[in-house]
Amino acid sequence: MTSSSNDRERPRVALFVTCMVDTLYPEVGLAAVDLLERSGATVVFPEEQTCCGQPAFNAGYRDEARRMAQHFLDVFGPLIANHQADAIVAPSGSCVAMVKHFYEVLFTDSGQEEQRQLVHRLSAATYELTQYLVDVLGVEESAAAYDGAITYHPCCHLLRELAVDSQPRHLLSTIDGAEIVELQAEHECCGFGGLFALKNAGISTAMGQRKVECIIQSGADVVAVNDVSCMTHINGLLGKTEHQCRAVHIAELLAGSAPNSRDAR
Amino acid sequence: MNIDVSAPYQQRVAQALSDHNLRTALERATSRLSGKRDVSVAAIELRELRNEARAIKEHAIRHLPELLQQLENNLIANGCQVHWAQTADEANAIVADIARQRGVRRAVKSKSMTTEEIHLNHALEDAGVGIVETDLGEYIIQLADEPPSHITAPVVHKRAEDISELFQRELGMRPTNDPAEMCAAARERLRGEFLAADMGISGCNFAIAETGTICIVTNEGNGRMATSMPPVYVAVMGIEKVVPRVEDALLLWQAVTRSATGQDVTVYFSLSSGPRRPGQPDGPEEMHIVLVDNGRSRIIERGYADTLLCVRCGACLNSCPVYREIGGHSYGQTAYSGPIGAVVTPLLAADPATAKDLPFASSLCGICREVCPVKIDLPRLLLDLRSDLTRVGTPPKYERSAIRAYTHVVERPGRYRWMLRLTRWLSRLLPTSRSGDITRFPPPLSAWTQSRVFPRFPSQSFRQLWHKRQNQPQRPSDNG
Amino acid sequence: MGDRSAQAREEILDGLKSALQQQQALFRETVGRDLPDPPMTVFPPPEDRSLVESFAARLTALSGSCDVVRQDEDVAARVVHQIRQWVPTSADEPIEVLSWEAGELDVARLEQSLAEANITWFAPHELREQSVRDHAAALVVGLTGVTAAFANTGSIVLTPGPGRSRAAGLLPLHHLVLVPLSRLYPTFEAWLLVLRQQGRLEALVRDSGQIAFITGPSKSADIELNLTLGVHGPKVVHAIVFDDT
Repeated sequence: MTSSSNDRERPRVALFVTCMVDTLYPEVGLAAVDLLERSGATVVFPEEQTCCGQPAFNAGYRDEARRMAQHFLDVFGPLIANHQADAIVAPSGSCVAMVKHFYEVLFTDSGQEEQRQLVHRLSAATYELTQYLVDVLGVEESAAAYDGAITYHPCCHLLRELAVDSQPRHLLSTIDGAEIVELQAEHECCGFGGLFALKNAGISTAMGQRKVECIIQSGADVVAVNDVSCMTHINGLLGKTEHQCRAVHIAELLAGSAPNSRDAR
Repeated sequence: MNIDVSAPYQQRVAQALSDHNLRTALERATSRLSGKRDVSVAAIELRELRNEARAIKEHAIRHLPELLQQLENNLIANGCQVHWAQTADEANAIVADIARQRGVRRAVKSKSMTTEEIHLNHALEDAGVGIVETDLGEYIIQLADEPPSHITAPVVHKRAEDISELFQRELGMRPTNDPAEMCAAARERLRGEFLAADMGISGCNFAIAETGTICIVTNEGNGRMATSMPPVYVAVMGIEKVVPRVEDALLLWQAVTRSATGQDVTVYFSLSSGPRRPGQPDGPEEMHIVLVDNGRSRIIERGYADTLLCVRCGACLNSCPVYREIGGHSYGQTAYSGPIGAVVTPLLAADPATAKDLPFASSLCGICREVCPVKIDLPRLLLDLRSDLTRVGTPPKYERSAIRAYTHVVERPGRYRWMLRLTRWLSRLLPTSRSGDITRFPPPLSAWTQSRVFPRFPSQSFRQLWHKRQNQPQRPSDNG
Repeated sequence: MGDRSAQAREEILDGLKSALQQQQALFRETVGRDLPDPPMTVFPPPEDRSLVESFAARLTALSGSCDVVRQDEDVAARVVHQIRQWVPTSADEPIEVLSWEAGELDVARLEQSLAEANITWFAPHELREQSVRDHAAALVVGLTGVTAAFANTGSIVLTPGPGRSRAAGLLPLHHLVLVPLSRLYPTFEAWLLVLRQQGRLEALVRDSGQIAFITGPSKSADIELNLTLGVHGPKVVHAIVFDDT
């Protein structure tokens, strides 16, 4: 396991990068690290991490999800238990919701008391990125700048499971030069839904097309999202149109590493 | 175009998605109803109302046997006859029997999801009783011989032109698309039915245990008509409808009306406790109540008592982005569609696997939970059902294998890194667009690329970039 | 009760008892509260208005209408006036209204005023016979009082009784409702509280057999969400609120 600084007075964050970011959008992970470090945290990256198990859980495969959850507990549990990390932070609302709300569903048998206790501890210490930046690190404004119009799509798990909404919106509003535009029907689901996107591809696409329509109508250059799952689905549809607008992970916008970002002040 | 409710799930959904008229109608109806609901609940202390409504229903379900007995005692004391039915067939037989004994040739019915669930109409018709739906929407679908497509707005899928055509054919109405004229035509025809009917049948929104009372909710007045004019009145009720006190029924009524249509109250709320009293000019001579189980006790045994909290407002349907796209008929031959239907339809069935697709027809966005007046955690119930169905072996084999393989890989970081290398390498074989996005996956992943592109795999994963960033020497196993 | 019904009763009650006992936690989450006692008042009337004003405003907003008669005014004359408005015939043509008996309506000189205006009243003792029912159904005006009325929603409550047919407030196209102030309450909840305190609730339920809450004219939005009035119940509801205190 490697860390970025040995300063013990700074809060230590164990980065839970998530499998999709790790494999498909590594730059989002780097942006998250930048943000956390610049905001006063020391980031450690437990390399043995893989996947939280949400896709299997949502698809109804609890035994399989439990095995993946167990691996997560094995990787992150000791860090928290031994105070080598104060918090676990992920650039994803749905993965954090999985740990905080659904891990306890996986360990309910009488022989799983130890896991239950560990899950309870980890749940309390796990945060979504913008939630951690604002609520724990006290970040009040972004140091980034952006030339263009930004709109925001609240991802369902972030909004409804974690009740995180004002934090990302606030940070976006402080991006220098950016015009924040309204997204119609913003609270509606984009239609990704995990395996739903494949098993019910027709419905998923229909829902996504509504979202894309609203995004285009908003006139935004980018739509900020906190989950790369929503981002993949929205960009998957936008990529088949002539429009240039794209979904970008909020970490990249806030870190100033998104396309069209200007130099940070 | 009508969706064939007996066709397989994917076929029904495909039909719905390609039906432009249906989707337009669904969008208009659901956005209007959910918009009205939002305005209506903003005018009251919603949080408190939901908590109290939930407390009342929880209490009612916890004490179901005692409350049912109290209800029965009071109904009998009021002069009613109480019947019990384990199954749909038994319930239908009871009603048919009452009809036979009273020489009933024609019955009028006020809207009831429970009677749809047990297929009462067909059973009575088989027994030689002509039965007429009187709720305007239900009357329309009866004429069209279709099942309802929404819990509270049964003809949300029909346009005015379709209804006009139907009325011209069946009622001899003159050609017009004016809703007022169409209503007047239905009113006239149904007025005659009400006055001549031998029996009136209703469902039950709430049953009050302490007074022995059956409560029904309508806006049209057909509930009062059906329960006042004919000499025999039969109420069919699911056993989960009982509540302790009059105040509880009044609170739940208001919670339902605001959630369903955004009304403070419905036009009519009729509380019937017994047949006409001596000296009263009108009212039924006899009042019967049929208490129906039809799988409700079994739902508790199956561990899903939460679903019995439902007060049948339809708010979850009106807010559901999936329901909006596919409508109620896509959920198949069932009285219950939308989010609650996706849970209740499999659970009421003898074999839940017969409705195995329904719990998966959701992106788990959670809006339904937000709008439910009794705070049912529908996403959680959907997840639990998915797990139950998967355990009994309903998913396709390749899906199971894929998930198993994925788990195997994810459990060990070494395997995970190796798998990533393999996937990245394989992905280079796939066709891409000019901008580099993957445009076609092999089946079954092709379901994605039919309508979407997918980003290509970057040459380095986050962990590799992390190492670079830290300027640390890479471990040999980190080449993935 | 038939044999099968009695058996089903045992099966269902036993089945429920054992199912409920078996479950460790009946619900995945509980709201953790007992039965609210009493439940909240869902929709209190606005404080800056009198009960009569609220009632009238609500009923009007729902496509009903309302007249408020001052103490010195003649209620009976208003009733006559309203009926004549709905059925515009020449003064010597008789109008028949389907009504509760005069004694149930509590308005001075009502019978005489109507008679003077050539309005006859049909308050049948019995509506079993088809000819009587057809006669009643052909009348276009129904006249009733109320058991109670509610300011917060513009609702009324009708309960049948000797001299108070259900048909009068149900069959005719127009429903004329006489609302004495003494029966106007702020909310349903307030009314129920009074009934309970006075020990009258049980008797009301048993003696009437039906309690009908009515709020405005009958309506439907089933045809493409277009609002239509008078689907089965009355299309026009007019309340005359008068001071009987």
